[in-house]
Amino acid sequence: MGETVNIGRRIELVPMDLHFESVTLALYCQEWESTPAYRVHTYSRKEGIQERIEFVVRAMETLGGMEQVGDGLLRFPCGAGHEFACRRVFLEACKQDPAEGIEVRPLHTLDKKSGLTMVASGFGDGRYRVTAEGEGKDPARRVGVIVNGLMKLGEMLEVEGREEEVGFACGQTHDAMVGLLLVRAPNVRALVREQEDAASRGMLAAPSQQR
Amino acid sequence: MSKQIVKSMTGRERVLAALKREPVDRTPICNPTSVATVELMDLVDASFPEANQNPELMARLAATSYTELGFDTIMPVFSIIQESSALGCKIQWEQKDNWPTVKMREPIWEDADDIRIPSDLLTHRDTKCVLEAIKKLKKEYGDEVAVIGKTMGPWSLAYHCFGVEQFLLLSLDDPDKTKQILDKLKEVTVAFGVAQIEAGADALTLPDHATGDLVSGEYYERYLRDLHIELVERIPIPLILHICGRTVDRMEYIAQTGMAAFHYDSKNKPGESMDVVKQRISLIGNINNPETLFSKGPESVRQEVYRNLEAGVQLVGPECAIPLQTSIENLKEIPNAVRDWHKEHTN
Repeated sequence: MGETVNIGRRIELVPMDLHFESVTLALYCQEWESTPAYRVHTYSRKEGIQERIEFVVRAMETLGGMEQVGDGLLRFPCGAGHEFACRRVFLEACKQDPAEGIEVRPLHTLDKKSGLTMVASGFGDGRYRVTAEGEGKDPARRVGVIVNGLMKLGEMLEVEGREEEVGFACGQTHDAMVGLLLVRAPNVRALVREQEDAASRGMLAAPSQQR
Repeated sequence: MSKQIVKSMTGRERVLAALKREPVDRTPICNPTSVATVELMDLVDASFPEANQNPELMARLAATSYTELGFDTIMPVFSIIQESSALGCKIQWEQKDNWPTVKMREPIWEDADDIRIPSDLLTHRDTKCVLEAIKKLKKEYGDEVAVIGKTMGPWSLAYHCFGVEQFLLLSLDDPDKTKQILDKLKEVTVAFGVAQIEAGADALTLPDHATGDLVSGEYYERYLRDLHIELVERIPIPLILHICGRTVDRMEYIAQTGMAAFHYDSKNKPGESMDVVKQRISLIGNINNPETLFSKGPESVRQEVYRNLEAGVQLVGPECAIPLQTSIENLKEIPNAVRDWHKEHTN
């Protein structure tokens, strides 16, 4: 009788897709050959939806450095879950305008608050060093902000004794993902607020809270 | 209740028996408010806000409660705005991902004398939508599950038509006028309720938001208990009173009304609530929405279902209209948990 499917644990949701008929897109976590893998899914059957899903999957491959494995599943080549970061990759992939090309984000970004260019340089073992380039205010503090941002957004770990470095527990390079997270790292608080606002939509408020 | 051997029942039989506190083959899974989600909207191509205005879409989305989630009820009246829209309130219809709401900051009336019940109350697009949807659902699923309608109580309607703050202040300053307003508005509750019975509803949810955060238990007794007794007498079908928030302080009065059931919030513990109502009224609930169904996983949902079953709560379901982004796996866990609990407790 039912048509809903058991495709694992839903970890992220875009309730209304900006780029395709306001459909709902979801990211589910499954297992593939004993490693975490992810499925982009929608219950919509609108014409053209398959192409839209394929676009989001391709965008996640590029923006997150993920790879497709069996039956449309995505995973990170290192085999680790990186679930928190993957949710961000999915959200950014859904925001990507299909009319524009999908490109890997560079390992540097302009920090609007300080005017500095923040750069992440990989060591090849999952560790990245954050440096500030150019003229701008308070570079040491801004490096700290970026490091904290990467830790929060990508569940990256601090490197003992090195305040300007962060690393992935898997010990593997994730340049695409770091480039994606780097853009958001200067203002994690705004991102959290944005996520909380999005989550509170659709929550029925008590009469005392309604306008 | 569930310890007696009872022959296998349909969802409808199960719900109606539980509303009378009669023996059931297992605890019914009941949705007296809404279990619509954005994913279910996509599945059946029936999205908000249109699914609150078009009976075909309303029925299609509501049916997923049974066809997809495995509940014993179908409830098509997702929102609380249908009759207020017909009364002339301004509605913020929102989009697929949010609830339509009454613009209570723009009240339509100031005084009891302003109240005019329009002649098209039951033929207005938004009330007619409910009546037509119930007819469709009754025809298609009426033998299998209970079709539950909804008619808003006069206290809630007063919030919508007079504004929350204004009405609450009036209730402090002028009890007589407040009672006049409630007396007039209860006719809307009765008319819409009776029309839904005629359309085929098996039971009606009656939300009347004398909520724990705004008014006291004493207020409920003063303004609403007798009025609810009258509504029970005039609307000849099992009524499910719904009030959000901490309500243990008014459950004694609620239990005196003759309502079939009280749909209660997770701010009230199942055990303490059952102790107050003492089998005079069934309880329905009370799986937490924002923290459990929306934010946690199936295991937490299961724990809350079990807490209700252990306490002897007669019908299990979410505490209120669920967040539209709730995951399907969490909703499906409610019937799964109920079935497993009964298996574990057989013999």
